[in-house]
Amino acid sequence: MADLANAPKPSSSVKLVLLGEAAVGKSSLVLRFVNNDFQENKEPTIGAAFLTQKCNLPTRTIKFEIWDTAGQERFASLAPMYYRNAQAALVVYDLTKPASLVKAKHWVAELQRQASPGIVIALVGNKLDLTNDESTSTATTASAENSSEGGAESNGADDSGDARKVSTDEAKTYADEEGLLFFETSAKTGHNVTEVFTAIANAIPETSLKSARGGAGGGGAGGGGNAAHGAGRSEEQRVNLNGPRDPNAKEGCAC
Amino acid sequence: MLNLSSFVQRAQQLLDPTQGLNLTDSDKNPSKASLFQNQFRLPASQHPLFEITAELTIPPSNVTQGEKDRDRGYHYAGKLHLSESYLCFSTTPSSFLQSASTSTASAFTGQTHGGGPSGNGFTFPLCSIRRVERLHSQNFQFALAITTWNGIAQETGKDKDAAGKDKKDTKEQRITIQLAGPRVSCERFCDGLKKGLRAGVGSVGKLKKVVAECYSEYLLRPEDKKTATPPDAGLGMLFRYPGDPKKLRDRAKMRLWAEYLRDNGRNVTLIRQPTFHKLIRVGLPNRLRGEIWELTSGSVYLRLEHPTLYAETLAKFEGQESLAIDEIEKDLNRSLPEYPGFQSEEGIGRLRRVLTAYSWVNADVGYCQAMNIVVAALLIYMSEAQAFFLLSALCDRLVPGYYSTTMYGTLLDQKVFESLVERTMPILWEHLVRSDVQLSVVSLPWFLSLYVNSMPLVFAFRVLDVFFVEGPKVLFQVGLAILRINGEELLDAADDGAFISVLKSYFARLDESAHPKSENPKLRAVTRFQELMVVAFKEFSGITHSSIVELRLKNKDAVLNNIESFAKRTAIRNLGPDSKMLSTEELGALYDKFYGVLYERQQRDHIIQEQARRAKPNRPRAGEAAANGDDHNVEKGRVGLGPSTSLMDYDAFREFLAGMAKWAISDSPSTPRRDNSTDKDRSFYNSFRKSDVLMSPWGAGPEPADHEFLQRLFKMWDVDSSSALTLQNVVTGLARIKGKRDIMGAINYFFELHDDDGDGKVDREGILRMSEALLFLSRRGLEGTLSPSNSTLTLNNMAEGANSPQNEVPGQTVNERFLGSVSAFIRRCFEYADPDHPRNHYSGPGDRAQSEEDLLGDELASPDAFAIDDESDEEDEDDLLTMDSPAHSPRTTATRVVDQAPPPSIHLNSAPPLSTNNSDMSDRRRVSRAQSERANIALDPSNPLHITLPTFRMVVLADELLEQFFESSFPASFHILEGIGGSPGGAGLSPTAASTLTTFSSLGMGAGRAVGAALGGGGGVPAAAAGGRGLRGVLDNIVTDGMRVAAEVRRRMEEAQKELEKNALPGQRVGEDEEDEEEEDVPGFERGSGGGGGAGRSGGGGSGSGGGAYGGDAERRSVRSSDRDLLAGADAEASDVGPVAGRVSVGSEGGGGGGGGGAVNGSGSGSAGAGGGAGAGRVVGVEFDG
Repeated sequence: MADLANAPKPSSSVKLVLLGEAAVGKSSLVLRFVNNDFQENKEPTIGAAFLTQKCNLPTRTIKFEIWDTAGQERFASLAPMYYRNAQAALVVYDLTKPASLVKAKHWVAELQRQASPGIVIALVGNKLDLTNDESTSTATTASAENSSEGGAESNGADDSGDARKVSTDEAKTYADEEGLLFFETSAKTGHNVTEVFTAIANAIPETSLKSARGGAGGGGAGGGGNAAHGAGRSEEQRVNLNGPRDPNAKEGCAC
Repeated sequence: MLNLSSFVQRAQQLLDPTQGLNLTDSDKNPSKASLFQNQFRLPASQHPLFEITAELTIPPSNVTQGEKDRDRGYHYAGKLHLSESYLCFSTTPSSFLQSASTSTASAFTGQTHGGGPSGNGFTFPLCSIRRVERLHSQNFQFALAITTWNGIAQETGKDKDAAGKDKKDTKEQRITIQLAGPRVSCERFCDGLKKGLRAGVGSVGKLKKVVAECYSEYLLRPEDKKTATPPDAGLGMLFRYPGDPKKLRDRAKMRLWAEYLRDNGRNVTLIRQPTFHKLIRVGLPNRLRGEIWELTSGSVYLRLEHPTLYAETLAKFEGQESLAIDEIEKDLNRSLPEYPGFQSEEGIGRLRRVLTAYSWVNADVGYCQAMNIVVAALLIYMSEAQAFFLLSALCDRLVPGYYSTTMYGTLLDQKVFESLVERTMPILWEHLVRSDVQLSVVSLPWFLSLYVNSMPLVFAFRVLDVFFVEGPKVLFQVGLAILRINGEELLDAADDGAFISVLKSYFARLDESAHPKSENPKLRAVTRFQELMVVAFKEFSGITHSSIVELRLKNKDAVLNNIESFAKRTAIRNLGPDSKMLSTEELGALYDKFYGVLYERQQRDHIIQEQARRAKPNRPRAGEAAANGDDHNVEKGRVGLGPSTSLMDYDAFREFLAGMAKWAISDSPSTPRRDNSTDKDRSFYNSFRKSDVLMSPWGAGPEPADHEFLQRLFKMWDVDSSSALTLQNVVTGLARIKGKRDIMGAINYFFELHDDDGDGKVDREGILRMSEALLFLSRRGLEGTLSPSNSTLTLNNMAEGANSPQNEVPGQTVNERFLGSVSAFIRRCFEYADPDHPRNHYSGPGDRAQSEEDLLGDELASPDAFAIDDESDEEDEDDLLTMDSPAHSPRTTATRVVDQAPPPSIHLNSAPPLSTNNSDMSDRRRVSRAQSERANIALDPSNPLHITLPTFRMVVLADELLEQFFESSFPASFHILEGIGGSPGGAGLSPTAASTLTTFSSLGMGAGRAVGAALGGGGGVPAAAAGGRGLRGVLDNIVTDGMRVAAEVRRRMEEAQKELEKNALPGQRVGEDEEDEEEEDVPGFERGSGGGGGAGRSGGGGSGSGGGAYGGDAERRSVRSSDRDLLAGADAEASDVGPVAGRVSVGSEGGGGGGGGGAVNGSGSGSAGAGGGAGAGRVVGVEFDG
């Protein structure tokens, strides 16, 4: 289904699954990423929600097929159905709730053992807006994750007064041990949200990309470094409600 | 007509013999009661008591009711059923009597196929029946006229007279039923009915209350009450009902319903006629919707049972917090937010209350996302109480397991749905498989939220209308129809995303014309939704309740296994840091065993209860049956089914350990056990009803022991003192024992176990308990790596003809030697114990501490010190052995004391000089008791003393065997991975297990003597006098009785050798290859081989292998059992000694002591007796005479 009009860059789709405790903001992260929107009262996810979003990298286009799962504990047994064949996973915790990090660790362990080998996992601490970290104020900072991380770390020290209960260090150390990407985000302000997805897109090994549906196989090798670049520029496209038979409706409006 | 129906019934039996109705009870074989409850949607308290074939006559209209109209009107043939408080009639010919075969009970016709109120008929609560008259008729027919309390809510007590006048408004409902059957059964039915009616009178008040909340009462209210306020028919009354009432033709529907209800009774007195089902199919009118849902789902009967349950629950738990409540709060604002009622405090408040109340009454389910959506939908049409009860009908019956903590019902129905798609739409299915689209990803929310979130509300409610009458199959029919209608587009969809969007757009256009381009205006007017309904119920009319049930049955195991392996994975991973000390395999095995025991116990309890119930003669009487009404048909016990139990109580803990450690198996089963071998092939999870034998409370497994040590272990593991262990507790507990393999740790642990108050001291009692525990743990032999020690070699050398030190002797005698170690342990403990008060110090101030230090110093300086001691002990013993006379204990002990140079040993002097002359024994005993009381200060209760951890450690390390015990054999005795059932030693679980104990008592003659000694020395300690606690008595005297052990060893060796010689079969393989099954027996032979030299050895091989793989086992066993008979006499004599026998039974604790001890003795020396011939027999006899 290569775009009829323009397919300048190779495009491939990546199945991404969101996991994490209930109410940590999984759906909100997706909503921010896909629609650049935020809703205070998001309908609970029953089973899972499916959304797609494209992410333009300099050398290729990644189409995320996002499976946003229900967070309630008892839905956990449904999760294998959703992370099956996933190439990437976003494990989300609420950095104001230490228990949610524990749950996140469980998910990471589960994914490492049960999901497809080579799955790219990003650990995401959400609700940064509830902390005093100054870097959260603006959503527009398209800063590379290095700088923002640095900022978060330096701020992690003076936690006094804010709602943060999980220090950046703690989570970062864990993420490093397990070889995970690590971000602290705010779906509410949008801080770092696209960066997460961009970093994941960059981290997906070229070889594991399906020769996209209709896309020419990943041609250009990724100059993986410039993550910040294409981030945020990606299309905001909810899974379209139009008939699938119209290829334009499906992918055309992208790019 | 009747003949026809019975013919149909029989035909169905033939067609579908395995039809089951509900999965939840007992899968393939659901109980009649649950089938009955399901068909009429009755509460679990109802059981089918009587049934009779009958013909129902309904007057065409109540307006013209009267005798003259009786022959006209509607006639239905069917069956009349009577339960405790319901009278039900259905044209569906089904039978629920005890005598009826299951297939009769489960073969259904009608739209619901047993899944609900099928066919035509009624379900009257008995309290709604006002009058039953027997009609005089010709033809000897048995006819009843039933008058109901139709419209009871309108009548107040004072209106009684006015009721007649009101008649044209509140018409009396009167139906006639002709019973067909032998007069006797008619009479019996009527008797039952009479009884039920009498009992039902009391509930009329409840009925009035319940009915008053039904909108139909308001709808059909008499003229003079036109101004009454209508009952709550949901949020719709405040916020409007969804959809355009005009488009829905709500008024017309309401008129039709009003007419139907007027003619056929309202709410509980409603009679189902064909029109009823048609009216439901076209969609219910808004204000009646809640009431009809309540009626068809049967939840109104739940409400009738406890009209105030909802309000009471809310009041009872007011202000309390729970996890479920937290979860509910998170979702309140996001439940059907598009409906204005749920943007208001009013609506949200109702939703909160209903969900919260339900989470309290059904804590197992609590709250599951999607319930918020379903309940929100219900609340638009019904009151809070109605929604509350309907929610429980949903969770328990209509969609069982959907909202459970594992959501197994949801997953199962997804599997069922998939297989239905595969069966009905093979091409689409193939496409899905090929393009790797997972159907359940799409369809799961349909089922979970009953289409409420998937379709526009108005349509979802139409689905619900049918769903509540016809049951869960409706969800499948609609789902299949959706796929069928969108089939072509779906075939083009290549991935999940495309698949989802096809369906999303379809749902968004349900109200559009299905045939927009059609010329025919009628066809054009058909909406897509109507088309959907037609396809669902016409094209997929083959999807019946029974086909769903069948598929559920088929897929259930796989689904549960999936869930369980997921749960297991997760649970094991999350067990915390302690669990890292165990391997993953071990954790997995522990997990399986933990839940296996819990599950089996639950099943067993259930079956035992069931058996007890069945064992009750006669049919259950109303009261009884109600009392037995099991807790709905919610299946429990498998992990996959949700959290029935995840806590292990003490009994379960015993059983758990008995499956893992030999010592945890009881020596004296109190209940006869079935032969294990018959159960070997039974599968783990489903199999109990294979045999009808009344089950032992321990099932097929061995009966677990109940020993103080187990209690201590349980207490120790139960870190939060909740009297129950979680998996976490068990894992942590075991990790501490097995995980580190560190002897100090094990010693500390053992000490800690016995240090009751945690002050680092264990008192006299504690020391004795420790010894008891050691004996308890070792009585089936020691495991782990036990190196042949100096002492064993010594002993080995002592043995007659010990020309081959390399033979099996060392390893095998360990078990008996351990007894010696324990006796040494207790002796040393007392020797080195610290007095609680310094002035009680026996051996003079300073000396003790001094000597202790010396001792430690010695130990450090020369690690061999104790080994040497041991050796000398053994030598002594051996001396004794060779002397073949037990009368030397004073010397032995004395020697020891001298060797070890501790403070003067207390017990020595008290040891009664033993004599082979048994007649002297009792006299001596008396004397010696006095002596010991005087001399044995360590045993003097007025001199409290204790040992500390360092002392304990020292004492343990002083003995190589004990050291090895703590280092290896104690941890190794927990067979986490292999269990004990699976090993060749499985025979150890069999009843013969009792015969293989290594205890003082099993050592035949040792027993008699030890007891004698116990009376002598142990009598001084009050606790020792406690009946049944035989071990204590023995222990108190072990100190003075050590050499008896040796004598016993010696005796057994001789006997074994004799047996060997007798059984020797040259040329058989040697004993080394042998599995150490029943290893305590084997030592006998092996030892014999040691003693007997070359010839003896080969002989040992012969009989040894006989015990192993070559079928000689049976022979040996048979010998033994005959011996047991023989010895029963001896045992009897032994028990004649009275307290003696009781005390002897080391292995068998408590009440079973006497008999158990006897058995132990019998089989213990049984093998000896068989092989030993006259000589050995004599010895035994002599000993028991004493």
